[in-house]
Amino acid sequence: MSEELRTSSIETRGVAGKKRYAMVIDTRRCIGCMACQVACKAEYDTPLGVNRTWVPYKVVGTYPVVKKQFLPRLCNHCDDPPCVRACPVEATYKSDDGGFVLQRYERCIGCRACMASCPYNARFMLPASRTYTKITNVVDKCTFCFHRVAQGLVPACVQTCIGRARVFGDLNDPASEVSYLVARNATQVLRPEQGTKPHVFYIGADRNHTEFGRDIYRRPDVLEGDRAAFQRTRA
Amino acid sequence: MGDYVVFHDVAWHGVYALYFFLIGISAALYFFSALSFYREEFKPLRATSFYGAFALLAVAGLILVGDLSQPLRFVNTLNPGYWNMSSPLVWGTILIVLYGLVSVWYFLKLGDEKAAKLPAVIGAVIALGLPIYTGFDLAVHQARPVWNTPLMPVLFVALSLVSGAAVASFLAKGEARLLGALRQIMLWTTGATAVMVLSLLITTAYGGSSDELTYMFMTSGTIGGIFVGLGILGGTAVPLVLLLLPFGKERAGLLLSSVLILVGGLSLRYSILMGPQIVQTFFS
Amino acid sequence: MLDKLKMTRRTFIKVAGGTTAAAAAAPRLLSAMEQDLGGKDFSPVDLKERQAIPVNCHVCNIQDGAIAYVENGRVVKLEGNPEHVSTRGRLCAKGNAGMWYSYDPDRILYPLKRVGARGEGKWKRITWDEALNEVAGKIKEVLDKGEPNEIMLKYGRNRSGGAIDRFMRTLGSNTIVNHTSVCESSKKIGMEPTWGPDIETPDFANTKYVLNFGSNILEAAYFHNPLSQRIAEGRVDNNMKIVTFDVRLSNTAGFSDEWIPVFPGTDGAVALAMGHVILREDLQDSEFIENWTNVSVKELKEHYKQYTPEWAEKLSGVPAAAIERIAREFAQTKPATLFTYRGPCKHLYGSYNEKACMMLPIMTGNVEKRGGYCLPRGMGWPQPQPEPAKPGKDSYLSHPPDYPLAAHKVSHLTPFFLADGKQKIKIYFTYQDNPVYTNPGSVAVWGKVMRDEKLLPYFVSMSSHMGEETALADIILPDCPYLERWEPESMPNSLWPWLGIRQPVHAYLGESRENRIILRDIIHKVDPDGSRGMKKFWNFKDGEDYMRQHFDNIPGLKEAGGMNWLKKHGVWPVYGKLDPKSGKVTDKTGREIKADYGLYKKELSDADMAGAVVDKNGTITKNGKAIGVKRGGRNYVGFPTGNRLINVRVEHWAEYGFNPMPTFKQVPWHKDIKDDDLILTTFKLNVHKQSRTAAVKWLAEIAHSNPAWMNPQTAKKIGVKTGDLIRVESKVGHMVTKAYVTEGIHPKVIAIATAFGHWEYGRLATLKLKEKPQWGGQDDPDLNNVWWDDKGVHPNAIIPVVADPIGGSQGWYDTVVKVTKAGPNDKYGDVQGDWQKHYEAYKETIRYAYTGDLHRKMHPEMASWAGPESLKGKAPGGGH
Repeated sequence: MSEELRTSSIETRGVAGKKRYAMVIDTRRCIGCMACQVACKAEYDTPLGVNRTWVPYKVVGTYPVVKKQFLPRLCNHCDDPPCVRACPVEATYKSDDGGFVLQRYERCIGCRACMASCPYNARFMLPASRTYTKITNVVDKCTFCFHRVAQGLVPACVQTCIGRARVFGDLNDPASEVSYLVARNATQVLRPEQGTKPHVFYIGADRNHTEFGRDIYRRPDVLEGDRAAFQRTRA
Repeated sequence: MGDYVVFHDVAWHGVYALYFFLIGISAALYFFSALSFYREEFKPLRATSFYGAFALLAVAGLILVGDLSQPLRFVNTLNPGYWNMSSPLVWGTILIVLYGLVSVWYFLKLGDEKAAKLPAVIGAVIALGLPIYTGFDLAVHQARPVWNTPLMPVLFVALSLVSGAAVASFLAKGEARLLGALRQIMLWTTGATAVMVLSLLITTAYGGSSDELTYMFMTSGTIGGIFVGLGILGGTAVPLVLLLLPFGKERAGLLLSSVLILVGGLSLRYSILMGPQIVQTFFS
Repeated sequence: MLDKLKMTRRTFIKVAGGTTAAAAAAPRLLSAMEQDLGGKDFSPVDLKERQAIPVNCHVCNIQDGAIAYVENGRVVKLEGNPEHVSTRGRLCAKGNAGMWYSYDPDRILYPLKRVGARGEGKWKRITWDEALNEVAGKIKEVLDKGEPNEIMLKYGRNRSGGAIDRFMRTLGSNTIVNHTSVCESSKKIGMEPTWGPDIETPDFANTKYVLNFGSNILEAAYFHNPLSQRIAEGRVDNNMKIVTFDVRLSNTAGFSDEWIPVFPGTDGAVALAMGHVILREDLQDSEFIENWTNVSVKELKEHYKQYTPEWAEKLSGVPAAAIERIAREFAQTKPATLFTYRGPCKHLYGSYNEKACMMLPIMTGNVEKRGGYCLPRGMGWPQPQPEPAKPGKDSYLSHPPDYPLAAHKVSHLTPFFLADGKQKIKIYFTYQDNPVYTNPGSVAVWGKVMRDEKLLPYFVSMSSHMGEETALADIILPDCPYLERWEPESMPNSLWPWLGIRQPVHAYLGESRENRIILRDIIHKVDPDGSRGMKKFWNFKDGEDYMRQHFDNIPGLKEAGGMNWLKKHGVWPVYGKLDPKSGKVTDKTGREIKADYGLYKKELSDADMAGAVVDKNGTITKNGKAIGVKRGGRNYVGFPTGNRLINVRVEHWAEYGFNPMPTFKQVPWHKDIKDDDLILTTFKLNVHKQSRTAAVKWLAEIAHSNPAWMNPQTAKKIGVKTGDLIRVESKVGHMVTKAYVTEGIHPKVIAIATAFGHWEYGRLATLKLKEKPQWGGQDDPDLNNVWWDDKGVHPNAIIPVVADPIGGSQGWYDTVVKVTKAGPNDKYGDVQGDWQKHYEAYKETIRYAYTGDLHRKMHPEMASWAGPESLKGKAPGGGH
């Protein structure tokens, strides 16, 4: 890999002895089954209305030449995460080994600065009500399943991925499957212009998903009534 | 469906704009109170505008803390061990705490012309830091159009002074010289605001897709009505013209301008806070 | 400066990071090894390992192997069982959310007795003893009268492994009715007489070309998860091409290399035309046809001459050029396979359509090849002994005489049969069924009949949820959802056969009991002293004991440990290890395990051949039964049909005046469809099943409403856009719903998803969340976060019954509707169906039965058939 300019001291790229976990999402294999989204909800008892990972879809083309495009989304675990810069109390931090961008729930004050800084909508505020988990009213996000990865398991979304579209591993290890996929395929990251250096790489991502703001030009495939109902419950 | 779509909420809701508004006015009032040590005409304002500043600090502080989803953890922001100095919020916390402490000091010395001057000056400098930090608070978010511009801190200083002067014109009890000075401040800062907002609008309109879309949201619909209608026309352009007219030199005209300026100040802060967040919620 | 600050901060983080619980408990991250795929799970909060219990998923009927992870006595996570050869550690969205069947706050947790009028919603809590005594009393009354067939049981999803049938046989009743006719029965009937089994197993992972007729395999259908895994593999790792024919851009169509929109019900014509091209251009596998089917290439060529691509284009709208191109691609790419599901078969002559489709892999010789069109692989289990005998007296409802070929019954006509007095019913049992919601006519038909206490004097529901049907019951016996049950399981959902077990992850919640226990207790009340000779068939301590009687003597499994093996692994056999690098099951050498192909070419042993005779056609017969086929000097086992061949010509169809050869019959009322008429089609989304998932919050959040899909051309014509209200009117009723304008649908089709618009099924499904749980359930605080306010509209009340005269299947996709912009008096959610008009539709559809007057008209080619009278005295009940 060519040496890019290292702009931040917390980057993990190529640091000897350190892991740099990444996910490769091969959209050619994604069947849009939503198993990842639900597995994630179960793993974390994530409340309704918020998601650590989600799978938007787009119907593209004109009858009869039409295609469905899915783009699984989650925290990009940026090598240079804006949310970490934004948090006043270091409740959000990047783990030294592995590059996980994590949240200290007991410290988060709920100022939402991290949410405001995230280019990917990956962060959300936990509501007051949850089924059985006591952590509420703080900002939460995808953790790349740190607790599972630390035990030698893949993240829950990767575990259940029917199409095996999600692949997880260490990019600092040239022999890993993610390194192979990133090296051997044309990959994209979301909003590269933000300089966040995402750790989620896409194969075959569709521009109808990746172009920022495209949904506004092209009316999203959703009943506006649903969006309005959602907005009514926020405030 | 229509099928399955995940919706996203904005990070910061409207109440944060109210905080910007009140803390900005508080800062300016403190500044005017301190100005009275150098400019004779501001003397009648010294106590009243300081009390106003103090009261607004209390209200704004409560709003700020109350807007946290974990209000009691506000104390975390006071723990230097937790401080992340690259977050403007930390600087804001330090400034607010210092501002509060200096305000108490100033309050205790208020009767003493000599002893009060030092806390007045120190407080005024800190007070000016408040709109600057709020501006940076928005400016540092790289992915948000409009916010992530160098104008934000300057614009918030101008908005602070103009809104503060408008409130001060009510606190002034008709002293002609004071009103004249306040009119001058309002005139210049409203003018500066107008220039900055115009510049913001133009650069946004000519920006890339996220800027362009934000321009669209900020000039149409509800946010457009608030930003362009109340903020730019009703709250900036109209008072600017009013203040330039002979009527604007009369107390009634000045007070009318002040009302418009206050409406405009809140509207601009609200729309600048909310407008640039909308595009992001559509990035599924 | 900033950099310096960052460095300081970094040092600080290192220290702080070490103090968090997560970092303290975590071992050092593994070095070069890649992560494991599963089999373990940990709490993200306290990092304790969650207890893993292997189960068999049963949210839908794909029957994936699963693991339930239990934390503080509660299932918090479900995951695929990595030892399961089909599922390979993965579950779909529904499977991942299965625990909400158990923890639904509106689950019924104690027996209930109706106190108001039927369906009024007034219930009294009663004890199990009261409930069982009452039910047993009613049963005894009927038995003592000597009419056990007056006890009826209709089940929907029955995975009891034989317990339900045992119950009815014990009572001596033949009136046991399933739900298959609203599912895919005409597919089964299209296939069974032809090659034996009722389904195919396409080898997607190894194929190069897939023709998919109307299956939405990537969202629903058999076998969503296991087959979808292989489709993704085939697509990317094996560069296969997939072509989907569907009226709508399902996720499968959207994923496919080509989506070919087709006019509803004409898939068969397209398939026949492809066959025509293949045979015309001599691209068929002549050797396979001559050796393994009951027709010759010459006969086939002659027969297919009539089905030209131009003919099919006129019917289906698929350009003749496309038909020719795809036919050539399919025939010339090896291996190739084909898959169908409800698209072709859920029409008036769905059985013909299915048959026409399956002819393509047959004539190209892709059957039972690697990458081809394979037979299903399943396993069975013995029943506990002694077993009750099959009752002698037949029941009209389980074998309607007008549909003798419909081996999977015609359950959706039941209410009309009842209303016509074809059979008297005294007690109606329901188990995992909800026809009031799921069947054609819905509440307008089933609701009417089930409210009628003259037609159904006593109605017992064995259900865990207050479904639309259970809400009309007289007494509710609270059943357990799948995570609390013992059940044996096997499904041919990959190329490797397996046996699985469903075992309870914790005790029954509340006072609920699993079904086999309820049935046992009823029998024990009916026959407390064994004098009726019933009790002896229900001799088991508990569910586990019953399972031991199934599993402890299966050869191979017995040696492996029998039940104990299954309790520990959930599945048997375990073929290999799930390799995290490939996601595939590998053998000891690390290579992917290989499937067994060519099942029909297994050779008969000498012992098999002892005493067998071979006739001039090569058919090997022993004791009057064909056991194989001799080809090229070898004795093969052949296909599991009567003559061990693939029956392209199905002789016994001809006996009833049906065309025995591959054919196509257009739905007659589609012929002259008016310009502004549309065909209504229904479908399932990937996160829901037919009726039981609306109360599963994670799934409901993803999809909770079902606006009607329509093409922009159609929408423009009637002047609506997405979100506008439309009125959909069929010959039996109308509904008002929202429009969803999408490029992904045929312009002559309007598509409305099912699983939505419930009027029962608890507070989440009906969005009545202000109320409290009523039947003992524990509230879920997360339901405070429900943000949607649209529950959708259910279309079934406006869909009339249509019965395939061969397969007996409901013609779900045959309804002609008129769609207009909603008027001023139309309210969102209005659904109105008229019983009288539904009844007329029933009368109309039985005219197509072999006994009906339209049968001959539809089959001019069968002019020489002697008519229904010629079959007097012949036993009905399917022909194989």
